[in-house]
Amino acid sequence: MTSVRAPATAAPRRADVPAIVEAGIRGVSMQVQDLALGFGSATVLSGLDLEVRRGEITALIGPTGSGKTTFLRSLNRMNDKVAKHWHRGDVLLNGASIYAPGAQLMALRRRVGMVFQRPNPFPMSIAANILAGVKAHRIAGKEHYRDIVEARLREVGLWDAVSNRLNSSPFSLSGGQQQLLCLARALAIGPEVLLLDEPTSSLDPVTTENIEAMARSLVPALTVVIVTHNLGQARRISDRTVFFYQGKMVECAETAQLFEDPREPETARYVTGRMG
Amino acid sequence: MALAARQAPPAQAPAARAGGRGRLAWLRASSRRLTGERSFLRYATGVAALLPLLALVGIVAILAAKAWPAMKLNGAGFFWRSVWDPGNTYGAPVKTDGVLHPVGAHYGALPLIVGTLASSAIAVLFAVPLSIGAALAVVEKLPRRASHVLGMFLELLAGIPSVVFGLWGILTLGPVLSRDVYPAVASIMPDVPVLRFFRGDTGYGEGLMTAGLVLGVMIIPIVAATTRDLLRQVPVLTKEGAAALGMSDWEVASKVSIPWVRAGMIGASVLGLARALGETMAVAMVSGSLLGTVPANLYGKMGTIASTIVQQLDGAFSDGTGFAVRTLAEFALLLAVITLLTNIAARLLVRKVAATALPVGRGV
Amino acid sequence: MGAPGADGAVPAGAGPDVLLGEGGPGATLDLYGRPSWARRTASLAGWGACMLATGLIGVPLIWVIYGVAGRAVPHWHWSVITETTTSTGGGGLANEIAGTLVLMAGVVVLAGSVGVLSGVYLAEYAKGSLGSLLRSGSEVLAGIPSIVLGYVGYIALVIGLHWQFSLAAALITLSLLTVPYIAKSTEVAMRQVPTAYREGADALGLPELTTLRRVTLEAALPGVTTGLLVAIAISLGETAPLLYTAGFTDNMPGLSLTHAPVGYLTYAVWTFYNQPSTAFQNLSYDAALVLVVLVLLLIIASRLIVALTQKHTESN
Repeated sequence: MTSVRAPATAAPRRADVPAIVEAGIRGVSMQVQDLALGFGSATVLSGLDLEVRRGEITALIGPTGSGKTTFLRSLNRMNDKVAKHWHRGDVLLNGASIYAPGAQLMALRRRVGMVFQRPNPFPMSIAANILAGVKAHRIAGKEHYRDIVEARLREVGLWDAVSNRLNSSPFSLSGGQQQLLCLARALAIGPEVLLLDEPTSSLDPVTTENIEAMARSLVPALTVVIVTHNLGQARRISDRTVFFYQGKMVECAETAQLFEDPREPETARYVTGRMG
Repeated sequence: MALAARQAPPAQAPAARAGGRGRLAWLRASSRRLTGERSFLRYATGVAALLPLLALVGIVAILAAKAWPAMKLNGAGFFWRSVWDPGNTYGAPVKTDGVLHPVGAHYGALPLIVGTLASSAIAVLFAVPLSIGAALAVVEKLPRRASHVLGMFLELLAGIPSVVFGLWGILTLGPVLSRDVYPAVASIMPDVPVLRFFRGDTGYGEGLMTAGLVLGVMIIPIVAATTRDLLRQVPVLTKEGAAALGMSDWEVASKVSIPWVRAGMIGASVLGLARALGETMAVAMVSGSLLGTVPANLYGKMGTIASTIVQQLDGAFSDGTGFAVRTLAEFALLLAVITLLTNIAARLLVRKVAATALPVGRGV
Repeated sequence: MGAPGADGAVPAGAGPDVLLGEGGPGATLDLYGRPSWARRTASLAGWGACMLATGLIGVPLIWVIYGVAGRAVPHWHWSVITETTTSTGGGGLANEIAGTLVLMAGVVVLAGSVGVLSGVYLAEYAKGSLGSLLRSGSEVLAGIPSIVLGYVGYIALVIGLHWQFSLAAALITLSLLTVPYIAKSTEVAMRQVPTAYREGADALGLPELTTLRRVTLEAALPGVTTGLLVAIAISLGETAPLLYTAGFTDNMPGLSLTHAPVGYLTYAVWTFYNQPSTAFQNLSYDAALVLVVLVLLLIIASRLIVALTQKHTESN
């Protein structure tokens, strides 16, 4: 092995993970330590310390340009490919640094899945979309494909609608159905954390409600982090809410507390609709 | 605002400022002038726009009229005969079915159809993988500067005249291949069906394989540039979706980007094929110009429809009956139909995609 | 189906109803474990092949240029571009160079005006089925092999109209080949001119022709230029449509449109290379070199023109 390992202080090895996990289902899934990041000379985020709790839904709210989506994308290192990206500080997943030199993007993204603002199905059949990640990671043999497709589609409530056209193009589905398909696709590789980047911003209210219910049903088995512009959505589904403003984390609290009794004046202005 | 401006465009109508009656008169005059100008513009540009269509109809009509007697005499067997015999052009001509022709004149198109299709197929098999690979590398992996360099290379490749490729093929590439490559390949191929075609006399570098490779080099620009532009249109969101599933760059490119542009890529390849089918000069220089016989093996001398027309037209006039020239018209018509069908297929496939225009060379 | 890998050791990682096979849920995955050998190999081989392909595209180009220069440069004399060809193969290529330049200029004038006007009509007026008929006609014409056009030019113009080998026959044949490109790029460029420009011009009360000339065409200039450059490159590089229309002569091109053949560079390459005399062969290589240099100049010029025109328009 030639790859450089993470510094000893930052990353307990895999063998230690179960012990940490067993410390309680309400442990810390992802820990952000003094994170700062930006592109070129611009600093988008700075001074971020945050614990994403396991088995909860954490909502990230804040005005446009506050850095919440960039932050979300730093949790599975989607920013890496953006030109001139840099970062300082660290993010730990189950105590292991995801930015350490030896960290493997492909392994990280299998553990930390993502659903995007707009549905982005691949140019292949509906079934092949679900199986894309399964095949890439060689998670299961061919004999399981049918079961996987059915299980995942049932999980997101899409099975009845598409079971008779699994081999047709996903682009014939409605936007909401496409987004559910993308969710099923992300779930098919068995992530432990799921990042949702404004997943309902392009959808109608009924589908939005579906997806919110879906997200609720994923916890506590999964850990969910969701970026949303919709304060009502954050209130309805999240356990904890983080308020971002101008590239800084202003406040992080239980959702009810953050909305009812915010500590910071900026939070209060935002959640009461006087800003944003 | 707009109305005020219309009434008094400073440079156009100083008189209009006079007000009242003068302004009204100017308005009337200018509106008359505008109508006249508009219809003139429409007329002039309309005639110009009609010219290509008229030319096309004219070309087809001239070819058909010229070829019709030859088509009658050559019959349907023309397409599967392997013969090229101008007949006795010095003897007294005879008339068959009302068509004047030299005694013994007998033509068949099979060798040329095979030569045209085979050399173009080699070109596509050679050019398409290279083009797709280079397009992927440039769009997904290489830095911007490398992409500029490749763009420049493609432009140059597209701009270099066909005869220069022909000169290179016959003086440089052909000799090198027939000395160092063909014999080696021919000697290791087993004597079994299909692969037998790779064995045998490797010649001196004039022939099917050399022609196919030169054609391949010539169609690389159109295929590579179109594929590159197609790959650039794959949405970032889709590629990120694949990366977020933990796919490697290569898996994203091969499993998602390529399928995304598949139809367009096939279209680009067919566009390249159409160009190879009609390419004339380079093939005429490196084909070895074989008439009346299907090429014996991969390295054998051959001819294509286009290369034969350009090489035989001069000599065809020694046939006083005009039958040879008429037969060449039939060949020209056949070539036009083949390339037309190929082009239509390509355009149906690339329709969705904005046309790629190479600044120099025959882009689009 | 069960989830063999998710044996409960890592509850948080197990998704609901997991069908994850032997690989188990993601959480059992070592964050620092490298991807499987198969995946790394596929990636390496795939990108390696792509890089190789990129390099391989450069090989023939450099080889062609090197091959041509290698044959032409050692015996190069500047008299090649100052003297006309003689029947013994002495002299130079002055008449061919002049002929090629005349053909280029002629195509710019003839095909340029027809092409631009045609493009204007297609962009501004041609709608519905008439428009698509005209467009398809133009596209089909562009797809017809140049040798077929050369044949028809010979039959119809050189023989049919008794023009003999001549500038007019050559120009018309070349124009048939190039008009579709100019028309297409003009049309595309004009369609991309923002409607606001034209509405602005309308609001100023500019007459239509002025609007067209001053506003629309000016904004579409880079596209029109591109089309013209393609046409120039075609006139420079084509041989098949010229062989039987322009003919060939050792003399400098004259003023007569008909009954006087024109020499051009590609003819020298095509005909002289297999003449027995070394002098002719050398002229063939020289002609190829001059052609490659002209293509290079054309590409540089096109880059400069595009850069200059883009300064004056809103770049995208």
